[in-house]
Amino acid sequence: MPEVLIADDSEFMRNLLREILEEDHQIIGEVENGVEAVEAYKDKEPDLVMMDIVMPIRDGIEATDEIKSSNPEANVIMCTSVGQEEKMKEAVKAGADGYITKPFQKPSVMEAIEDVVPS
Amino acid sequence: MKVDIQSLGTFNQLAHEGAQQATASMAQMTGIDAAVDVTKITLVDRADVGEELDDGEYVGVQFDFEGELSGRTALVLDRPCSETLTDALLPGDSAANMAQSGVKEIGNIMMSGFIDGWADYLETTIDHSPPTYIEGVGRDVIPASKGEAGADGRTDQLFVFKSQIEYIEESVEFYIYMLPDYDSLTSLMTTHADTESDAIPIDKLEVFNQMTERGTQKAAENVSMMTGIDTEAEVSQISFARIEDVPKQIENSRYVGTVVEFTGIPSGFLLVLFDEMSAKNVAEAMMPVEMDGDDLTDQHTAAIEELGNIMTSGFVDGWANVLRTSVDHTPPRLIHDMGQAILDPLAAQVGRHQEHAFIVDSRMRTDDVEFEAEIHALPNEQELREALDALMIERAEETDADPDEIFQ
Amino acid sequence: MKVYDGSKAAESEPTERIKVGIAEYDVSTNGAVLTTSGLGSCIGVAIYDRAVGASGLVHVMLPTAEDVDGGNPAKFADTGVETLVSALEDEGADSSNMIAKIAGGSDMLDFSKNGSGIGARNLTVVRETLDALDIPIVEADVGGDHGRSLRLEGETGDLIVKSANREEKRL
Repeated sequence: MPEVLIADDSEFMRNLLREILEEDHQIIGEVENGVEAVEAYKDKEPDLVMMDIVMPIRDGIEATDEIKSSNPEANVIMCTSVGQEEKMKEAVKAGADGYITKPFQKPSVMEAIEDVVPS
Repeated sequence: MKVDIQSLGTFNQLAHEGAQQATASMAQMTGIDAAVDVTKITLVDRADVGEELDDGEYVGVQFDFEGELSGRTALVLDRPCSETLTDALLPGDSAANMAQSGVKEIGNIMMSGFIDGWADYLETTIDHSPPTYIEGVGRDVIPASKGEAGADGRTDQLFVFKSQIEYIEESVEFYIYMLPDYDSLTSLMTTHADTESDAIPIDKLEVFNQMTERGTQKAAENVSMMTGIDTEAEVSQISFARIEDVPKQIENSRYVGTVVEFTGIPSGFLLVLFDEMSAKNVAEAMMPVEMDGDDLTDQHTAAIEELGNIMTSGFVDGWANVLRTSVDHTPPRLIHDMGQAILDPLAAQVGRHQEHAFIVDSRMRTDDVEFEAEIHALPNEQELREALDALMIERAEETDADPDEIFQ
Repeated sequence: MKVYDGSKAAESEPTERIKVGIAEYDVSTNGAVLTTSGLGSCIGVAIYDRAVGASGLVHVMLPTAEDVDGGNPAKFADTGVETLVSALEDEGADSSNMIAKIAGGSDMLDFSKNGSGIGARNLTVVRETLDALDIPIVEADVGGDHGRSLRLEGETGDLIVKSANREEKRL
């Protein structure tokens, strides 16, 4: 099963993502900010990171940028409530591979993951 | 057409003093001690004027005024309040028979006090027609403004001056509405504009209001998606009030919700608030399991925190997309406290640099369960002005961005 | 012209209640209850002179009038306290007999990054201003991250503090 790291400051959202993903994925970690996300990524090198944007300490776009700079092969999907075009462009620039806007439903999450990490 | 902040402030002050004068007249006549709670200028859709009135029965007076400023004005009070007033004015059994003329008399004297201040400030006379007694349920009591709907193709929004007056002892309120003719008011505002530097273009303010309406709809759609509760955007309006009146925009009962600070163009604070019952209902609709008990648990508040986050984005994303900029916000702070105490620190932070503030108010509700949510934004004046300057009216519809177009 | 005299207002009533809004103050010498609600970072300053039975309450919002060119002295901690004290003196109170009780100044929703939020600065200025006037603060319920509503009983000078999620306090 693909290994997934979840980075989101909202406990509610982490639970929701876990429920959606755990059937077909192995959740190898859940973190609450961008700094922890980078550390956890380097430590465990999961197949996929589900990355929120608005988080305390360090936001998800900066964290994505660092992860992708150190490993261009990393797969990062932004999973955020932000629906601003400029933010989406920033995410592309940082190297994000996909972008899911909250609120989402399971099929759209699975579809986005399938595009990035084909099973 | 532009209006500067200073003249908005002056007009707000005039309306406030007028309402105080009106209240003093009333107190003198009846011996009932009342105080003006809030006065604000609101830019609102014609159809939404008076949305703050509940479904109760209201009575009052209206009359037209003409002169350098022309329009229509109304004094509105709920029926129990009118009975208290007329009883104080004419004690005894005759009160019931005299209710209508009592209201008319009080209304007449109060409203004269309200209009006189304007005439004095403008150094002119403002004539008014004899008062007409009005009654109705909820907002229907408020007379239509004199202007034609949608005349000369502009958006159908009005500036309304609202004062809310409250008794100390009894918890009844009444309202003064002033609906100036649009052209009359805007030309007056232009005449009294002191400087160009802090001027706000009115047409753009109207477009901003429409963007806010769409932002509210988006936020309501997000609520529907997350909860399965079909939620509708109700009202969106921009008001202008003294900083110290900002906290009174909401009730002082307890609310649960989230607050973020947003930075960029515009900047400021954004609140998503639910009354406790709504918070509980909406949180439970998001949860997979049934909850026991009446208390708000940590699970409820975690759900509210995320919902607040998503509603916040739904609301501000439209601004960013129309303005082709990004609006960043802090992670949401969960709050559970008295309504006015929630707004007060935010008003104080904005109030360090300005005496008046614009407040964006939106509301959504549903008939399915007891649920109502309010979104309030408190933008910093400087950045709001920059945002309006940068706003291209032809982009007003471009509130949505599609990630699929950007991620290919 | 109709002329109404004020005689109806003079009927004896239960204890009068006076509501003090944000950036407002009021005083009483007849034992009235002064109330103010929804204090977040704002501060309610209650001043009482037992000798003449005068009480006053001001609801201040911002630290100092120097910051903003505003016309309303009751909006600021420094001018608000001074205005309240002179209003009490106008009612025959003497500042050397006055005591103060303060509540509010919460840090809730303080987004400032340097840590010194408006609530804390309001408190500092209220304390400095009362100190300069030689009026002792005998009780205080300040800071924290919650809102407060106040009731000042003119008969006793007691200040009752209500919070959303806490027990009522009598200062």
